[in-house]
Amino acid sequence: MARFRLLLRNELRLFRTAVPIHAVALLQPTILYLLMSTILVHPTFEMNVAWPTTEAGDRLLEAMSHVGSPIGLPYIEPVIVPFDGGPVARQVVVVEDQGGHPVAVQHFGLIDSNLVKNYRNRLTAAGLRLWNEALDGRAVSVEERAWLPHDMPYNIYFGMALLPMTVFVAASFLGAILVAQEFEFQTILEYRLAPLSPAWILAARLTRLLLLALLSAVILSVVVGLRSDAWPDLPWLVVLILVPVALIAGCLGMLAGLLLRRSIPAFLVGLVASFAGWVMGSGFGLAAGFGGWYERLSRLTPFTHAVELIFPRYFGAVIGRPALSVAYLLLVSAAMLVLTAVAYRWRVVRQA
Amino acid sequence: MARTKGQQAGSVLGGATGTPAVSVSRVTRRFSDLVAVDELSFEVRPGEIFGLLGPNGAGKTTTIHLITGLLRRDGGEVQVLGSDPETDARRVRQQIGYVPQETNVYLDLSAVDNLWHHAALYCQELSGVARRMDDLLHLVDLWDRRKDPVGAFSGGMKRRLALARALLHDPELILFDEPTLGVDVQARHVLWEHVRSQQAEGKTFIISTNDMAEADALCERVLIIDHGRAIALNCPEALKADLGRDIVTLRTSPTVQDPARLFGGLGVQAISRTEPDQLRLEVRDAESIVGALLARVTADHRLESVRIARPTLDDVFLHYTGRALRE
Repeated sequence: MARFRLLLRNELRLFRTAVPIHAVALLQPTILYLLMSTILVHPTFEMNVAWPTTEAGDRLLEAMSHVGSPIGLPYIEPVIVPFDGGPVARQVVVVEDQGGHPVAVQHFGLIDSNLVKNYRNRLTAAGLRLWNEALDGRAVSVEERAWLPHDMPYNIYFGMALLPMTVFVAASFLGAILVAQEFEFQTILEYRLAPLSPAWILAARLTRLLLLALLSAVILSVVVGLRSDAWPDLPWLVVLILVPVALIAGCLGMLAGLLLRRSIPAFLVGLVASFAGWVMGSGFGLAAGFGGWYERLSRLTPFTHAVELIFPRYFGAVIGRPALSVAYLLLVSAAMLVLTAVAYRWRVVRQA
Repeated sequence: MARTKGQQAGSVLGGATGTPAVSVSRVTRRFSDLVAVDELSFEVRPGEIFGLLGPNGAGKTTTIHLITGLLRRDGGEVQVLGSDPETDARRVRQQIGYVPQETNVYLDLSAVDNLWHHAALYCQELSGVARRMDDLLHLVDLWDRRKDPVGAFSGGMKRRLALARALLHDPELILFDEPTLGVDVQARHVLWEHVRSQQAEGKTFIISTNDMAEADALCERVLIIDHGRAIALNCPEALKADLGRDIVTLRTSPTVQDPARLFGGLGVQAISRTEPDQLRLEVRDAESIVGALLARVTADHRLESVRIARPTLDDVFLHYTGRALRE
């Protein structure tokens, strides 16, 4: 164990050979989360409404504030603003009287069609509510029968689904670049001639990658918790679930470094694998929710399995087939370890 | 314990005694169509500083890589401290230290951290490593800079650190590829002293170099290699002596009128007058007769100048290959 501790200590000291890369690997997904959760992923929209001057306008304003999930957050936060008929920043709702009929006119600024849809749907929901009230409940009623007993806020889901991505980024980036750098700086010769068993060397390096990857996940989960007040019920279990993901990523990064022997191409492999895996692997929504080829493809990545295993820790409900996901992660980890050991032997230990 | 160069050379050439530290026998290594090492044979004695001398591309580094086991041979036999580096790689690697041509240290780590990195990979016992590390840092004069990042070191300091690192696991054989490549003159001599001091501790060195002065100053025996083939093997002095003669140039006043009579019986092989007052004498061994030559000249003449020119290893290389070492 003394040797392993020394190897691990040396591995951690190598942090100094790539400080910026470590910073990127450890913090990039957390920064991504902070940005995305600020600009995109919140169900409650602020909707500007011109000061109501009619009873219909007052009623619409009241209806807007009731639009939302019965088991979650409201979808509209009305903000009353002055409106003089000029250009608008994003969107303004003005209730006008046109020929004796109240009309909610939605003025849009320079926003994309997706935002237009979001604003329009919310206003339509408020209008539908008014219509139903006017007909004394005899119009169309909308019921929500959710799979979960509570709403699943997207900013929490997004943060949770980033956890496998952050460990993947950290382990694959660092694994790829550090190994490739050994070839570029020719320090690989130290390993090539070392009488020590490669198993020790690989174990120390993978442990280092694992520790840094889990550190990045801890940083992200703390930020998600502080921002959304969402904390996993069993944090240690989340860490345990992320261990095979980090191993797979670390092995992938090391394989890229060993096979390509150049930092930039190896880094790109880690980058592409991380982001492609994240996008395909339930990064923006549960794979089961998309179905079809996306779900099938998604289940080939470790991300979806990790997300489905972590999901209960944040939302309290088991999804997917946990046993299958555990088996997948363990088998792929083992396979990647074997591949990495073979590649190490081929590229480093083997006599040319 | 310490041996002088002359003593060591004499014992090495005096006859085969004991098991060689390294035995290379009819070894061949090809890279596609290029034969980098061609039926190469030599032996290195324990405690010897052995030089591989040749121009760039002669096969020196390939030979070293074959000895370390980094490369596989296409034919022949190699024994390193009694083991085959191909089939018993781990055993061989525990007993050798290698300082490669490119100083492959971690520039962002300190000297101490570099040594700890090496210790984890190479030292069988970790208990005495810290003490040995301190000793080696003192030995190579890096103690005061031990905590500084190696990136701030000069070329000579990096080479000294690389040497200390190669010695850390106390190997019996050290392979030193181009020890002073890119190192300034002062640092070269410091490095040579470190090598000699380690030889005095009983270490065996194989040094690859294309620097004649280095081979001449450091090595007890030199194997001259060209195109992967062994050209000549002997101690530097003997290699030069094998060329046959030294040149003694004398300038006198007045001019020696009859040099054949004046120098008769001293073993002068040829005499020519290159200037009216200057004679060029070809002798077998200038060192042994220069005293007698001068005694005869100064009896009746005033000696203005005397110059003895001895063959260099470059002359040796030129003699055997027909081209200069650095061509």
